[in-house]
Amino acid sequence: MTDTQWPRYEVFKQDLPGQPHKAVGSVHAPDAEMALLNARDVFARRPQVVSMWVAPASAVFSLTAEELAANPEFWQGTAVSPQPYALFAKRSQRRSMTFVEYAGEVVAESAQLAIKQALEDGRFQPETAIVWWAVPLSAISGSDPQDVDSYYAPATAKTYRQQSYYGFVSPTRKSVKREP
Amino acid sequence: MNEPALQAYLLAQADDHLILAHRNSEWIGHAPILEEDIALANIAQDELGHATLFYDLVCALGGDDPDRLAFWREAGKFRCVQMVEQPRGDWAFTMLRQYLFDAAETILLAHLVHSSYAPLAQAAAKMRNEEIYHLRHTTAWIKRLGLGTAESHQRTQAALDALWPLAQQLFAPLPGQADLASAGIVPDGESWQQAWRAEVRPFLTTCSLTIPANDTPPTTDRTRHSAHLAPLLADLQQVARMEQEAVW
Amino acid sequence: MNEDPAKLAAFEARIARGEKIEPGDWMPAEYRRQLIRMISQHAHSEIVGMLPEGTWIPHAPNLRRKMVLMAKVQDEAGHGQYLYHAAETLGITREEMIDALLSGKAKYSSIFNYPTLSWPDVAWIGWLVDGAAIKNQTMLAQCSYGPYSRAMVRICAEETFHYKQGKEMIVQYMTQGTPRQKALVQDGLNRWWWPTLMMFGPHDSDSPNSAVLMRWGIKTKSNDALRQEFINEEVPEVLALGLTIPDPDLRFNAETGNWEIGPIDWDEFWRVVKGNGPMNAERLAARQKAHEDGRWVREAVAAYAKRTPEIGD
Repeated sequence: MTDTQWPRYEVFKQDLPGQPHKAVGSVHAPDAEMALLNARDVFARRPQVVSMWVAPASAVFSLTAEELAANPEFWQGTAVSPQPYALFAKRSQRRSMTFVEYAGEVVAESAQLAIKQALEDGRFQPETAIVWWAVPLSAISGSDPQDVDSYYAPATAKTYRQQSYYGFVSPTRKSVKREP
Repeated sequence: MNEPALQAYLLAQADDHLILAHRNSEWIGHAPILEEDIALANIAQDELGHATLFYDLVCALGGDDPDRLAFWREAGKFRCVQMVEQPRGDWAFTMLRQYLFDAAETILLAHLVHSSYAPLAQAAAKMRNEEIYHLRHTTAWIKRLGLGTAESHQRTQAALDALWPLAQQLFAPLPGQADLASAGIVPDGESWQQAWRAEVRPFLTTCSLTIPANDTPPTTDRTRHSAHLAPLLADLQQVARMEQEAVW
Repeated sequence: MNEDPAKLAAFEARIARGEKIEPGDWMPAEYRRQLIRMISQHAHSEIVGMLPEGTWIPHAPNLRRKMVLMAKVQDEAGHGQYLYHAAETLGITREEMIDALLSGKAKYSSIFNYPTLSWPDVAWIGWLVDGAAIKNQTMLAQCSYGPYSRAMVRICAEETFHYKQGKEMIVQYMTQGTPRQKALVQDGLNRWWWPTLMMFGPHDSDSPNSAVLMRWGIKTKSNDALRQEFINEEVPEVLALGLTIPDPDLRFNAETGNWEIGPIDWDEFWRVVKGNGPMNAERLAARQKAHEDGRWVREAVAAYAKRTPEIGD
């Protein structure tokens, strides 16, 4: 009787080559393959996108600056076994439609220790970051670079989804203009 | 160049895409999960875009404008296949129809990008990438529905039993198509059908689906339609036909 | 409210500094409760909001309008999706939220319980309903909760086209249309004007949640202030087209610079909110049917995923 909406996958979108992947939200999907397809339909309706990553929401470890201040020893007793982690950070309070962005990789014995390491090696500055994420690389699935043309490029031709397609519509402005 | 034959061929393509887009669009707001409302709305927009490209090509060869063709023809003047006219059915039917169509289109467009008729080759290049994506989406779905649960398998098999003969009509040659094929404008229907069968048969089999023995379409004549087309057009053309002189 | 005073003071100081509260940060239980209530209602409104316009996708009068309307309703699904995500970061699941919607427990914007009776209604939804929604969304893009704010920034960027395509139609039909088209446009305005003004919610004096929402930076403007901004912007535009706004008391107050309206029928508002509007039963039935018809699909795909361990996992 209980319904399933499928697991949640965090979605990371890269707008242009060379820019970091940024967390844009999530999709529900039964598996990573469908998560990448759903991510494309949900987050690439408009340009620009060149690559997407998805990761199960359950695989993401998140730490906020406030949590770090309240518990500086957050990493205690978390070590399991070493594996590579992708790191993400949110560094600005500016108005934005994206959240944390990709900030490199480390090998660590837990997600907590991955963040600790990044804090110690200076990659993460406690005073400038607001939120950190660590995600095991093995949990991340990425789009195939060869699929850009079929997955992401078609959105550029769908100009009717852009407000600029409609120009400026105002009956009052028009009538003002007509007067000498 | 046999222009009337080319125009008739392009019109058939345009009508297939328009009617399929219309059927798919009926799902928007009613899909099994939110992500699929979005995905199917996307496929419907792509197919409508392809219909528009084909209508533009028809009109470039002389005649009406695309909206007149879509909104002011009676059912008897439409040249779509009966497969796209069928009501949307359940999710298995919609996904399987789209899969069979996408597989055919992807093969067709791979030929048409090399068409000796340059405007068609250019339009095909625009459409092809979108069809490749559709095929990813629909193959992902058919695999999961065919191999998912007993119910999803049974529904998908029932959809295949209904759609398999209907799908064969896609490849039936149109009057004058042989001329177009020999001029390198479009592929011939038989090799297209063979390539399609070579692709879809093994895929459907790996999805644990049985290819139906019956592969005779109810008709190969695109002037003959199922009982579903006229009510569909009544919906499609309702507002457009309120007044001759109104522009919407 | 039994919150730790020191934590509460620190929380309110963060909001006063303009910082965003992020998932994981401490927040008062009431802040979390209000956000879940607002965001899930907002998400449900997008989902139910697909229906009144979706009805007209099969009847769109030309290829371009059909394409645009599909893209617009698709965006509404997308906006519902972004908003459910924002609510999920507060510890509620999409299953729970959808269950609340389908069982009739959850509310959604009452505007979507009115019927769309002719094609120009689609245009009015774009101009008026989306115009009103944009007012609210632009404010919420400043909201103190990070995920809600980000969803709103994305939605605002996309929603402007919804407003413009609607207004474009009304302007076209009123300046170049046939008498019948103009009559349909006027008829649509007669039906959509007042329900649109009700979208901003009860007067500030009757809005029990407003004070706490403003104190915590969830809302930055009151219902009445937003409603007045909307009226002042849109009334001259509507009148310039030769349309009649169905309010005999409507007048311009030169002293305040405001367009003043007659009394809003709050009995009607509460009747619709409480589930007795013209389309409440039909809207909910449509969503319930889609959900039930889709159950075997969701289960099949989940079953497949369970049996097929992913490569790389």
